[in-house]
Amino acid sequence: MSATAADEVRPDKVLHEESYLREGFTLRSWLLTRDHKRIALLYMISVTGFFFLGGSAAALMRLELLTPQGDVVDAETYNKLFTAHGVIMVWFFLIPSIPATLGNFLIPLMIGAREVAFPRLNLASWYIYTLGGLFVVATLIAGGVDTGWTFYTPFSTLFSNTHVILAAAGVFVVGFSSILTGLNFIVTVHRLRTPGLTWFRLPLFVWANYATSIILVLATPVLAMTLSLIVFERITHIGIFDPALGGDPLLFQHLFWFYSHPAVYIMVLPAMGVASEIIPCFARRPVYGYRMMAYAIFGIALIGFLVWGHHMFVSGQSAYASIAFSLLSFIVAIPSAIKVFNWTATLYKGSITLPAPMLYTLGFVGLFTVGGLTGLFLAATALDVHLTDTYFVVAHFHYIMVGGTVMAYLGGLHFWWPKIVGRMYPENWGRIAAVTIFIGFNLTFFPQYLLGAWGMPRRYHEYAPEYQLLNVFSSCGAAILTLGYLLPLFYLVWAMLRGPRAPANPWGATGLEWQTPSPPPKENFSHTPRVVRGPYVYHPNGPAEPQA
Amino acid sequence: MNTIPPVRTLVLVWVSLLIWLALTTATSYLHLGLGNTLINLVIAAIKLALIAWFFMHLRHSDAAVRLAAGAAVLFLFFLAFLSFSDFLTRSVLVAPWQGADNFIGQPAQEAAH
Amino acid sequence: MSAPAPAIEEASEQFESIEQQRAAAELGMWVFLATELMFFAPLFLGYSYGRWALGASFAAASGHTDVVIGTANTAILLTSSLFMALALRAAQLGQQRATRALLLITAALGMTFLALKGLEYYDEWREHLVPWLDFRFEPRYVHGAALFYFLYFGMTGLHAVHLTIGIGIACVFALRLRWYAAKRLSRQIEIGALYWHFVDGIWVFLYPILYLVERHG
Repeated sequence: MSATAADEVRPDKVLHEESYLREGFTLRSWLLTRDHKRIALLYMISVTGFFFLGGSAAALMRLELLTPQGDVVDAETYNKLFTAHGVIMVWFFLIPSIPATLGNFLIPLMIGAREVAFPRLNLASWYIYTLGGLFVVATLIAGGVDTGWTFYTPFSTLFSNTHVILAAAGVFVVGFSSILTGLNFIVTVHRLRTPGLTWFRLPLFVWANYATSIILVLATPVLAMTLSLIVFERITHIGIFDPALGGDPLLFQHLFWFYSHPAVYIMVLPAMGVASEIIPCFARRPVYGYRMMAYAIFGIALIGFLVWGHHMFVSGQSAYASIAFSLLSFIVAIPSAIKVFNWTATLYKGSITLPAPMLYTLGFVGLFTVGGLTGLFLAATALDVHLTDTYFVVAHFHYIMVGGTVMAYLGGLHFWWPKIVGRMYPENWGRIAAVTIFIGFNLTFFPQYLLGAWGMPRRYHEYAPEYQLLNVFSSCGAAILTLGYLLPLFYLVWAMLRGPRAPANPWGATGLEWQTPSPPPKENFSHTPRVVRGPYVYHPNGPAEPQA
Repeated sequence: MNTIPPVRTLVLVWVSLLIWLALTTATSYLHLGLGNTLINLVIAAIKLALIAWFFMHLRHSDAAVRLAAGAAVLFLFFLAFLSFSDFLTRSVLVAPWQGADNFIGQPAQEAAH
Repeated sequence: MSAPAPAIEEASEQFESIEQQRAAAELGMWVFLATELMFFAPLFLGYSYGRWALGASFAAASGHTDVVIGTANTAILLTSSLFMALALRAAQLGQQRATRALLLITAALGMTFLALKGLEYYDEWREHLVPWLDFRFEPRYVHGAALFYFLYFGMTGLHAVHLTIGIGIACVFALRLRWYAAKRLSRQIEIGALYWHFVDGIWVFLYPILYLVERHG
């Protein structure tokens, strides 16, 4: 795709012709880099490591749940396992996954910039993440924490005998990593867009990460202070959360969920951004309703801040507040539904191909829809009384976070792998992995909806015998899922080392990131791109029109 | 950021801030019930607005900056508002051991159930 | 002394112009201040909860705060904001010596605040008003008062940490004026000033909620 618009050479800047991967091979050139692309790769390695660590905890849990008796681990250990799984997966994998890897790599490229606004802050963000990770690993080595990733009081402040403070410190630290990433993205998108790139010409991936960044900067500090209060309470027993001393345990829950509900939108919005890049490309049609998609992203982000009480329907919260939160939770489904309809409409009369990224993304749309609909079940207070703290909830959020976010993350990794490493991944293996993961995922988590509706509680290491069959299905599914996740680990790395070299734009896609070599040079572009049209100008029967 | 405020403006803002301070302190010695709290919070908001608008140059900043400033305040308000929708509308059953003046400003109720 | 800084400033690599860099720094600082406000938010919510649920205890506890120092400190901090704003103005006008003096006065006022705060803390410790350190209060208000003072020390303590950072920043700027032209430094001073005013803004809310609860007694 040749640039048809006028371009400018940036004056007096040193231009590197080599790819960013060849700008220095020392450890120092990686650990002290200011290149957002390298920082993205640092994050990618870290989050992958934590994914498999958190996944190991899940594997042990699923092993335990093969039989009704608690015969693999004891109850306390099981509590530590699900806590580790939650803490690691939420804060060290899901939240950073798309923003800190794909977002860091792509956002400057997609807006035609050389770098993010604050490159050193970006590197600091990764170091802070790593420090938080060390705290959490230390917690595991020291014996773990058993409060659940939700740290509910009074158990966490008064009764737990495990390493609550160490774990809380780790999460506190990693929170600042997210805050800095979000701050960087907000300023980058506001101030560094290339000429001609107005807001409504931005790719939806940028919109999605921008909205995510707003949530990151406004919600995460609340979590940081809330965890600090847990630590103070544990040490001093003043009684902020203790009714016997005039405090209120629900104060903790309000504060915790004020962050943690928007946090789930931090986890899903970037995934939606990925889907909006991939579907138009492989349907060869512009996304349906671009502006509505952008508004829906903000609708989700804004209303997502107002629904947190739906985690507290049975906690003793006022019934009137529950009604308000329930209504708001129904409303927040609307912009999500709009997005699902629009992705579907994008496919209509498209010229559809199904390489691995598209398989992952279509899987994302379907599984996210199932997860989202079951969220509505839970938003109905009367139903929630029956379903809360059962496996129904577990299935619901795994459909969104794993069926949704992880699938989209993998789809994005495959879609942009040629750009990131300059080589193509093996397409057949990509498809095999996508299908394996889809099958494994559904086998693991669909039975959990049934288990929950039939009364099996969550966070229990043993259960009544009548639940065993479905638990066996679920555990078998987990084994298949594990295999599915290991496949990309191998063939993507193989591709990075030995795959066939990729052209600048292997998919014929329209974004600015495809207008520069694969992999990009250090400064991203040799000439300042000048944007002349909006994104996704695809045609079902002809070449697409790039943005610049 | 080319507009540099004159010294006079800055000093006037400072004087008005001190006047508001005097007002908030003086009125707190009057028996105004809920009015005291209301006055204090409103005056604090006015002072913050003056500081933000004049000292922090919000009057000259672009939309992005003003949005950032406004967003934080808005979300703080969301947190308070919806949390209080719970606190204010709960039906509370006070335990016998919760003493007078110790919960929701009401004297302890004898075990009613 | 190191070599004098170049007369014309170049924007950092990622920016097209100095103006873009300035605009990015300004937005970045405001976003950061938004996160700081949200960091204080749970303390404000905890306070609101306590004020509503344990109103009588909070009023009793607030009565023991030193309203003279509190009010004086508020006036001092507001004045320091004036001087910081004047310092920024002087820097933008290239007034090297005035900028330095005004920054140092700002820092001095901040340090006065901290000194008075320290005095307050010491008195409160002697009066057994520090939770966890032999806290004593009228039995019927003790739980609420403990919660009040926990929040009091927590919020003013966190505020004091931020103020200390602000003082450090002001002093660093004053020092750098030895080597850099005031006009050139004014971009950074603008950002530092935003932080300073934010710290003042937080105090503007802390003062009435901590010192003025049912002062009429």
